[in-house]
Amino acid sequence: MRSDAEPKARGAVEYGADLEAPGMLWAALVRSPVAHGRIVHLDLAPARKMPGVVAAVGPDDLRTLLPKAALEAERPVFPLQEIRYLGEPVAAVAAQTLAQARRAAAAVKLDVETLRVDARIEDIFPEWPSAASAHDPHVVGHVHARYGDVDGKFRTADLVHSETYRTSGVHQVAIEAHACLAEIRDGTFCIRSSTQTPFGMREDVASVLGIPESKLLVEGSWVGGGFGGKGSAFLEPYALLLAIASGRPVKLALSYAEEFELGRTTLPAIIRLDTAVSRGRMVGRRVRLLLDTGASLPGRDFAVGYSIGFLLGPYRTEAYEIEGYALQTNKPPFGPHRAPFAPQSVFALESHIDGLARRLGTDPIEFRRLHAWRENDRTAYDQPVGPFGLEAGLEAAARTAAVWRTGLPAGHGIGVACGFWSTGVGAGGEARLFLQPDGLVILEGEREIGNGSVVQGLAIVAQRVLGLPASAIRVQYGDTATAPFDSGVYGSRTLAALGQAVEKAARNLEKSLASRVGVPEVRLELKNGQVVVVAGRRRQKLVDLLTPAERAAGGLESHGKHYGAEKKVDASRVLEGTVYPYNDFAASVHLAEVEVDRETGHIGVVRYAAFQDVGTAVDRTSVVSQVEGGIVMGLGTALSEEMMWTPEGRLANPGLLDYRLPRIRDAPPIHVDLIEGFAGAGPFGAKGIGEPPIIPVPAAIANAVADATGTRVFELPLTPERVARALKLL
Amino acid sequence: MTDAPLTLNINGQDRRLGAVPDAERLLDTLRWRAGLKGTKEGCRTGDCGACTVLVGGEPTLSCLLLSREVTDEPITTIEGVATVPIGRAVIKAFAEAGAVQCGYCTPGFVVALAAQLGRSTTRPDVETLIDGLEGNLCRCTGYRAIERAVELARKAVP
Repeated sequence: MRSDAEPKARGAVEYGADLEAPGMLWAALVRSPVAHGRIVHLDLAPARKMPGVVAAVGPDDLRTLLPKAALEAERPVFPLQEIRYLGEPVAAVAAQTLAQARRAAAAVKLDVETLRVDARIEDIFPEWPSAASAHDPHVVGHVHARYGDVDGKFRTADLVHSETYRTSGVHQVAIEAHACLAEIRDGTFCIRSSTQTPFGMREDVASVLGIPESKLLVEGSWVGGGFGGKGSAFLEPYALLLAIASGRPVKLALSYAEEFELGRTTLPAIIRLDTAVSRGRMVGRRVRLLLDTGASLPGRDFAVGYSIGFLLGPYRTEAYEIEGYALQTNKPPFGPHRAPFAPQSVFALESHIDGLARRLGTDPIEFRRLHAWRENDRTAYDQPVGPFGLEAGLEAAARTAAVWRTGLPAGHGIGVACGFWSTGVGAGGEARLFLQPDGLVILEGEREIGNGSVVQGLAIVAQRVLGLPASAIRVQYGDTATAPFDSGVYGSRTLAALGQAVEKAARNLEKSLASRVGVPEVRLELKNGQVVVVAGRRRQKLVDLLTPAERAAGGLESHGKHYGAEKKVDASRVLEGTVYPYNDFAASVHLAEVEVDRETGHIGVVRYAAFQDVGTAVDRTSVVSQVEGGIVMGLGTALSEEMMWTPEGRLANPGLLDYRLPRIRDAPPIHVDLIEGFAGAGPFGAKGIGEPPIIPVPAAIANAVADATGTRVFELPLTPERVARALKLL
Repeated sequence: MTDAPLTLNINGQDRRLGAVPDAERLLDTLRWRAGLKGTKEGCRTGDCGACTVLVGGEPTLSCLLLSREVTDEPITTIEGVATVPIGRAVIKAFAEAGAVQCGYCTPGFVVALAAQLGRSTTRPDVETLIDGLEGNLCRCTGYRAIERAVELARKAVP
């Protein structure tokens, strides 16, 4: 059982939203009323005169409060001139109470010269972009790659299947909104924040404020849901700036409306797919992707460069051409959200393949199996595929689908979809273990964010290596000054990558103890609250094996590091921009049964099954709950979650009333089948599993709808209105 | 706006909370004046259930109530629920079922479920209990583990 479960259920752990410090002020942001404009005049004086206000800071204060580098940052804390999205913070105030801070923020005078708003992809490219489009100033990223004789494949094809798909903006909606607290302690800038990446946060904040990292300390709080949304610097620079200006601790926490309006989220996309088929097989593909990246910086085309490979799928591809554009629009910048953009890419690809299989009269599962990657196949960028459970997942799914198919009621349909994910095992991390006479402490810089990978996963790794009972192992959290470096909780990497560092540190401990006893290997036990070192029949108390210095220090310390090898793509295939190497693949195969209301277009999810390649399930309860959680989050993406912007760039639904999340009665029965035996790079063959379970969900639902109705829906989410339109009911 | 002194009965004790603005919500009074931060702040619009407390024994969204509206009724927060047998059983069930991930929504679920289990002489069945959690959002677990926790808790509460 997870050690954090009971304290959390009792309400006894401190999240970012709960942070408090003596003499603390509350902050509020002054936000732009327009989506695109130039600041003509910004006057903070009226705010400074309001009751309770202690400090107000804007662009001018960057000059006086921070080193020169803060003004030269690629994107300074506050816009010096150009406002790029509605709600963009242009100033901030700190007051005795939150209500006073909000009233003062509203009193700031801001004159803006409005500029043309490009809120949507269609505002920039009403037609598909041509070769000249790459020079359009809105194009902040352009990726183009090609392999094989793609023109020849299309020329000689028996059939070409061509479709266009659209996807919508989706918010992470962690139940805890972003919150942080900044203060200055003995000349050090200290940030406590609900963050997935304390060390990344330190780097980001130092860079945007122009201060050295050595002057900055970041301490993670418990995180009330992350899902990719609580990574790099966001509120922290504003809070720290106010702490510097006021000399007091400053708390900044977003309201849900702000959370939605400022969200670094998944943004809309248009995806065009063409597939050439010869003799019943897919032999060539063209992919074109227009991805809205909001007010993202030029040259940061990670989103499009990373996503585009998912549009080729976990399938053998003889020839392809892929081209993607990242488009700057007047929305908040694109941000990571649990397998960034993969559920959307896979919705398009797996819908497309499904339709193609049906067009060819082939069973959709069998059609996928024909093309599925197997171990030692090569990816689109010529990387080797390691042990990969896709084919095994498809075979298991086929058996379940056959059972479901028997006696399937009229109006119901069954859909299948596959996904793959590259887990971030390359990102580095270090572990420090401290073996005390009464148990083991694992020191970490990042808090558990929810999935269990830190509090449970790392503890189990140490437990398996050393043999101690779970009750004798404790994860203890430090800050960026006291804890060993780690890249953070993202990319499904924590157990798979940081776990390797913990495994090494534990093995070092074991080796050190074995050499003291004079045997090749030892195991640890806990007896009467004491750690005992067991070598064959010999048992010795740990304390008796420690040196005087170790005894004085309270125990034996051990370190482990994991820095993954850099993977390379075949550069000859890349004509423009950057594509990213993938590694350590996890396969997912999902099945959904739906019931479609032929009058309203409402989709009911009757049952669901997931066949998830996990390498090795290190903790079954955690993995199953993770898979179920990913699926239900994916049902939101599939069915109801959609951020809607007006042509003026205003988010029309910044709250839970109009942005509908799945509730408990929306969760269907879910059968989770963990596929083991295709070892990943993580400890004991574990693969990262945080993100994979969300990936195939929208596609599985869409394919089930197509199976039930014979009609395909080409846009996410599949709201009753879209389904009704597709069925020509509207 | 008056800031008259306010006394609330919280977890069985009369708590003098000083001068509280008329417009202050129960959620904020509990968290920032009474120091009971186990009640979580979520949406503040009554949509997520994270701030659920018991007012007169009934699950109530503390973000939608003014503190001055509840001076006559006993208030029980998660800190209070956690000390009674039914509350402890529910907490144990959530932990055992793997129904706690980030944990931010959990106190709200625990309060809502404990209230139903403790309410009447006839025990509601599992489906009714689950219906009673429709007002609580969880973004991590996909609810299935929470449903397993409901089953465990129902078995554990006599």
